[in-house]
Amino acid sequence: MKKTILFLFALNTLSVLAQEKKEGLLYGSFESNSQWYLNDEINGREIKHPKDPFRSNNYLQLNYNYKKWTAGLQVESYAPNALLNYNPKYDETNLGTYYLNYKSNKIDVTAGHFYEQFGSGLILRTWEDRALGINNALRGGRVKYSPTDYLVFTGLYGRQRTGFDVANSDIFGFNSEFNISSLFKTEVSDVTIGASYVGRDEKTTIANPKFKSLTNAFSGRLNFSHNSFYVSTEYAYKSEDAVIVNNKIDNNFIKPGNAILINFGYSQKNLGLDATLRRMENMSFYSEREPDLYIENGGSTSYNFNDKIVNYLPALTKQHHFNLANIYVYQVQKIEIPDPAIAKIGEIGGQFDIFYNFEKGSALGGKHGTKVSVNIADWYNLDGSYNYFPPSYDAKFFGSGKKYFSDYNLEITKKINDKLQGNFAYINQYVNQKFLNGGSLVKTNILAADATYKINKTQSVRLQGEHMWADSDKKNWAGATLEFYYNPKLSFYVWDMYNYGNDKVGEGKVHYYNVGGSYRKGASRVALNYGRQRGGLVCVGGVCRFVPESKGVSISLSTSF
Amino acid sequence: MKYYSIFFLLLINFVFSQSKLPNLSINNLNNQKINLNETYNEADKIYVFSFWATWCAPCIEELNALNEVYDEWKTELNLEIIAVSTDDSRTQKRVKPLLNGKGWDFEVLLDTNQDLKRALGIVNIPYTIVVKNGEIVHIQNGFTPGSEDELHLKLESL
Repeated sequence: MKKTILFLFALNTLSVLAQEKKEGLLYGSFESNSQWYLNDEINGREIKHPKDPFRSNNYLQLNYNYKKWTAGLQVESYAPNALLNYNPKYDETNLGTYYLNYKSNKIDVTAGHFYEQFGSGLILRTWEDRALGINNALRGGRVKYSPTDYLVFTGLYGRQRTGFDVANSDIFGFNSEFNISSLFKTEVSDVTIGASYVGRDEKTTIANPKFKSLTNAFSGRLNFSHNSFYVSTEYAYKSEDAVIVNNKIDNNFIKPGNAILINFGYSQKNLGLDATLRRMENMSFYSEREPDLYIENGGSTSYNFNDKIVNYLPALTKQHHFNLANIYVYQVQKIEIPDPAIAKIGEIGGQFDIFYNFEKGSALGGKHGTKVSVNIADWYNLDGSYNYFPPSYDAKFFGSGKKYFSDYNLEITKKINDKLQGNFAYINQYVNQKFLNGGSLVKTNILAADATYKINKTQSVRLQGEHMWADSDKKNWAGATLEFYYNPKLSFYVWDMYNYGNDKVGEGKVHYYNVGGSYRKGASRVALNYGRQRGGLVCVGGVCRFVPESKGVSISLSTSF
Repeated sequence: MKYYSIFFLLLINFVFSQSKLPNLSINNLNNQKINLNETYNEADKIYVFSFWATWCAPCIEELNALNEVYDEWKTELNLEIIAVSTDDSRTQKRVKPLLNGKGWDFEVLLDTNQDLKRALGIVNIPYTIVVKNGEIVHIQNGFTPGSEDELHLKLESL
């Protein structure tokens, strides 16, 4: 820590001196999320706060730019402990990432940690998401070379970050992207092709492995768009590799993986249509095959924390902004054969969107216009035959197996007059929990409405009401939110989610209430919250983290400079 | 002690720092690389970058509000609004149809792996930066109804 401070100080002094001469530039950001956990009792069920009730996640990011050079680092502090259910490898204060970058018109070279994504991320994405505790940056070197406007090549090597360390494997990558339309100056607005390779070399301790230590993944993609029409497709293939069964390599279960993603749509003024279809089979890709086990952490594994994840396989469903619509969320299904009746080897399905804007002055648009969006998502297991012992499968390319999840929803946004704006949503979900994470089949219907009233030039109030009818699991919920914007800088909220239909033994009716406020000025924000957190999945970008039920006071600070 | 040091350092920076638009290139909707410094560099022109995502309700509210006043603002100010989508590849495909469904007129950039968001240290969206002559002259963090009027006053004063 002392070294870090010294380093920061040196960097800082340098920057202050440099800025006086207007040569260099120091910039960065700071974020802190802390919570004081409290004991709670719900219908006689005691929820004890953890041993260290005060927990805090902190991130300080600093960059220094001088002409074509930029250097940076991120110090992270999880002290005295990280917030509940974060990756246990995030412990104490340490240097999280650091890099040195040189960038000119044609060449971009990075040494140290870097974030990268090839295509849509089917075979490689390294990124940071603090709410999920994901930082899978690669530590090594990367060169991006762009000889012309329409060609980009990327070559990289690294080891993947896990906690404050790196994974015990080598990752190699190559990516090329060719914008044909820019080269030929065609009439077509966009034709781009891309090809990528990612190799992961992890030595195994298994005797006589039937798989190679180097696993190769390839992907190819094409984007095409002309006037209002567009289509893009991506295919990925992962070479034969051992499948993980019960958190262990199964030397007799060796399979390749593949994925196909197709997206097309039509978009003109006031109308948008979009369809995305995806089929994935055995596409789990981690920098270490076997997960770390955390016995003391309720038997969780590093998979649960999205640790050492190489590729990005997001759930392709709509990310709802209503509270109750986020109770049953879908996560991508990977290979898992817990019993012969629940054999999962991937997923197939799609998502359709319609956006329509009834213009001002039209019959349905009224004086201020009306915006309507419809979203339909359906996801299924692959069709195929499965064998439990020894584990094996044979999947058909076309066709679907058991349904995992569906979400059909409609949302209408309407400005009623200069003071009042409304938003209405209907959501219907089918959640096959037996396949997803254990439990019963749940069917839900959700109605939600939201109204914002502008009191005067700077003050406004927002009221939101929601109800979910669920036929199983925790059954019905009702929710309400009241938010008051005192001025553009200061706002307060109170909300409650009431699980009044819960008739599970030992659970019963529960209020999950929260009250808080936030103050924002320039690039800074402070937020304070008191309340009871519902246990469940917190998801960002279709990737989720489980959080346990808890009660407490939390404070968040963020700023950039 | 260590926290004090960090805060002390931050304080120094607050006093001395002046942010610039980072030297980055990100794609537009037609997959063309847009270099921020080279593209948004007209002298004295005001560039408003609004960071949003398809799933962020207040962001969409903000862009709806800006869209309504955009034509009016353009008549009095030399200004351009750029909507930077921070959607990752999960939701990025919804950007194009959503734009037209909403009837927005902004240039849209795709910050797919959040390189620009990270370089600017943005934690929460909506987040709007105003750039003039390559320098970040104003930041509006969050959106509440009526914030667009406050932004307008600020833009007029630049």
